[in-house]
Amino acid sequence: MIGADKRTGQVSHFWLHLFLVFFTVISTYPILWVIVVGFSGQQALAFADVPADPGFLDRLRAIMPWPQTWSLDNFRDVLTEQPFLTWMMNSAIIAALTTVLGVFLACTAAYAFSRFQFPGRKAGMMSFLVSQMFPGTLLLVPIYIIITQWLGLGNSFIGLVLVYSVTAIPFCVWMMKGYFDTIPIEIEESAIMDGASRQVIFFRIILPLAKPAVAVTALFSFMTAWNEFILAATFLEEEMKYTAPVGLKFFVGGFASQWGYFAAGSMIISLPVVLLFLYLQKYLVSGLTAGGVKG
Amino acid sequence: MSIVAGNTAYLDRKEEAPRGIRGLLFHPAAFGVLLAVALTISLGHWFVGQAKTEITTDQWNRGVIVELMALADAAGAIETADKKSASEKLTTMLKGLPGTDDGAATYRVLRLSGARLLASTQPNDVDDMAPPRRLSRDEKWLFDLGQSLRASVQTQRDEGIYRRRQIEVEELDGGLVRVSLPYFVGEKVTGIVQSERRRTAVAATGNRLLAAGLVIGAYLLAIGALAAVGRERRDKDVTRHKPWALFAVGLVLLTLSAAVYSRSEMGDLTAAYTSLTGQLAGEFSSVKDRLGYLAGQAGVSLDPTMENRWDVDLFRRPFGVIDGDGNVKGAALADKVSEMTDRLGSALRWNWGVGLIILVFFALGYARRLRRTVQEHRSAYFYVMPAMLGMMVLAFFPFGYGILLSFSGQTVLNVSEPLADLMVGFQNYVSILGDFSLFESTAEGAVINYQNFYWTLFITVCWTMTNVAFGVTVGVLLALTLNTKGLKYTNIYRVLLILPWAIPNYITALIWKGMFHQQFGVINQGIQMFGGEPIAWFDGVFSAFMTGLITNGWLSFPFMMVITLGALQSIPADLYEAATIDGATRWQQFRHVTLPSLKPTLIPAIIISVVWTFNMFNVIYLVSGGSPAGANEILITKSYKIAFEEYRYGYAAAYSVVIFFILMFYGVFQTRMTKATEAANA
Repeated sequence: MIGADKRTGQVSHFWLHLFLVFFTVISTYPILWVIVVGFSGQQALAFADVPADPGFLDRLRAIMPWPQTWSLDNFRDVLTEQPFLTWMMNSAIIAALTTVLGVFLACTAAYAFSRFQFPGRKAGMMSFLVSQMFPGTLLLVPIYIIITQWLGLGNSFIGLVLVYSVTAIPFCVWMMKGYFDTIPIEIEESAIMDGASRQVIFFRIILPLAKPAVAVTALFSFMTAWNEFILAATFLEEEMKYTAPVGLKFFVGGFASQWGYFAAGSMIISLPVVLLFLYLQKYLVSGLTAGGVKG
Repeated sequence: MSIVAGNTAYLDRKEEAPRGIRGLLFHPAAFGVLLAVALTISLGHWFVGQAKTEITTDQWNRGVIVELMALADAAGAIETADKKSASEKLTTMLKGLPGTDDGAATYRVLRLSGARLLASTQPNDVDDMAPPRRLSRDEKWLFDLGQSLRASVQTQRDEGIYRRRQIEVEELDGGLVRVSLPYFVGEKVTGIVQSERRRTAVAATGNRLLAAGLVIGAYLLAIGALAAVGRERRDKDVTRHKPWALFAVGLVLLTLSAAVYSRSEMGDLTAAYTSLTGQLAGEFSSVKDRLGYLAGQAGVSLDPTMENRWDVDLFRRPFGVIDGDGNVKGAALADKVSEMTDRLGSALRWNWGVGLIILVFFALGYARRLRRTVQEHRSAYFYVMPAMLGMMVLAFFPFGYGILLSFSGQTVLNVSEPLADLMVGFQNYVSILGDFSLFESTAEGAVINYQNFYWTLFITVCWTMTNVAFGVTVGVLLALTLNTKGLKYTNIYRVLLILPWAIPNYITALIWKGMFHQQFGVINQGIQMFGGEPIAWFDGVFSAFMTGLITNGWLSFPFMMVITLGALQSIPADLYEAATIDGATRWQQFRHVTLPSLKPTLIPAIIISVVWTFNMFNVIYLVSGGSPAGANEILITKSYKIAFEEYRYGYAAAYSVVIFFILMFYGVFQTRMTKATEAANA
């Protein structure tokens, strides 16, 4: 057997590295692609011009993620000539409001589910779980009617914020509840003995103790709003009210093909989320599995 | 009766109900009767008020319409006779119309060809603005209005259905009402006649005294009944011993008061309608005389004929209640009245139903129990409330509404009609699930019908299974590799391999769409590098399926990898040591130590990713868009397209409900399976 150590049955590290490098190249290539298109200063899809009768090397050049010239033009243009900055601001406002509202709703509900025994507790938690299975398209038409016709919030940020916060609730509640469960109840009992009210316990004791979980809930609510595409595309009608995702699709959807703008915009939008995500992904995973096991 | 018995046991632990007069006044059963009757009657009162306002307004509008229809006939006749002098004759005619002298009503006649204002009594249309003249730029709305009415008439002739209004009634500021309708030369819409006048606001209500009297009377009777029943057991709470008797009393009171109210108001309404119709008949006669005379002056004659053509609804269909001589037709009027009272009657019956629910709730003790429960767990409900309220309004209610919608034939064309009129029963479900025509025969033989539900289901299942299998295989392999002891640089690999998960998936989807571009995409460049032919990725069913699979595989394996890695690291090292001492080979260790330890983590992760993949809208919608010809649509994108590209809301809702049940079925089935295997292993 080539490459395997006969004594221990261990596969040689060389092959393992080869395997990992292969997948790393696959997982990073599209990202490099976007970076290169973004920095190419052009709107074209291709990295390099291919001559009329290309040979192997010309083709190789065409797939090597390296632009013909480096330029910041796409970034400059997308921020100044296109309304992209406005769209980013819209997204930021919506995401920030969603985060605040989402965290508030999730923390209060999760606290009740974790600490109180009350009729309807089990049913409530199950209903949150089942709501995750509602197909988005089934809810879309009724939500559209509720938001635009009944609440009169069509084409407004508030409507989207409400919908996003509620979308994030079930996951956040399950995760927060899991975390609250790990906080010993004795802390609260002694606080009650000291004469603290429920509100004081919740805001002064429990929430500070649950900071990591609150952070993940906040991240999740933020990402829900920051990355959402379909609802925003359905609700927002004016171009100046678009969120960043809708705007990005605008660059390459239909008959437009401004791939340079798209790539530059994608990078600007993704960067904060990717960094946050890498920082907090451990908690996200534990939250997912905790919810899954109990469900 | 078990509820009541349980209720009794529950209440016995609580304090005694307050006694005496106060106890009777605030007794839940009496209060329930009060609430039920009050709600039923006040809702009914509101409905009656609406109906009365509506008939009064309608009759007023009809008066205007009768006059304008007559004017339109005159305008048409004048235009037919002589186009040149039409403006002059019409101006004279408008001057003779009632309301012109004192400015109570203003009129316009517009000829569409050339956008000419033929005659007008608007105060502004004098001196250099005096008709006949071409419309000014500011009056474009007038021309547009005419165009739209002409289009409505044409639509009706083309389609044979009355869909667009042919008479426009607009409410302007300050109680001003503007009515416009087309006039004809022969069959052709030539122009419009229009009138503006003030309508005094009508705020008709039902009989307030009767309503209040009924509510109070029912309440007092309920208290009386309570006192009568309670006398025998002065010391005990009555609801506990005779809940059904009390309920029966409440039901009788509710039904009686509703019946009395509806009888009286129906009578009122009938009388009002009849008298209004009589009034209208009078107006018709006077319009006929006045305009007949004015038309005679202009040299034409008017004839509403035997069937009254002037008294019409907004689609210009005759009402047929008043004949050509201005007499009310008794039978037709009775039909109209009963049509109206039937509608109101069904609304009142619904009210009664609502009242009944409240009565059950209170008289049988549910309300008391609910209040106790809420009081006891006040802080818990206080904390759950905000989130629950949000979920109710924006998740559970829309879900219920969606299910209701799935039994209706709602489309973009009839979205303004009440849902109750559009119910089609199970028709949507039958046409989705009952359509087995997977193949259709064309000139080239049998071809798969990509629009069929079962084809889309097949694609969705293939899509989900291949994606999850790919994600699990690659994810677990990578996790095992990364978990190798002593391997260098694993942290770097790990971060780079997680990246696809971190990037928003709509961006990923659009990136891959760009890379799959037939001419400029890097993937085809790579294929050509090795001498292959470029592939038209989105033209073939299989290749388009692959674009989705590759994209989604790329963005979903890191999830499985991270989950598995976490699970692997939590397996205690002693297990492997023990296995090594027992002489287990690497494969045996993997088979009997690693895999069983991974299972509790992997199974929920697989369930989650099956649900996610099944509903992975973005990848399909943004990468291939279901091409070619919808063959690669999955259920969720298909239902989106039905709703927002074909605008068949009811059908799309039914489609989504089917998706929901498939997922539910999967969830239940999977949980059962897991439990069963766990039980078998234990």
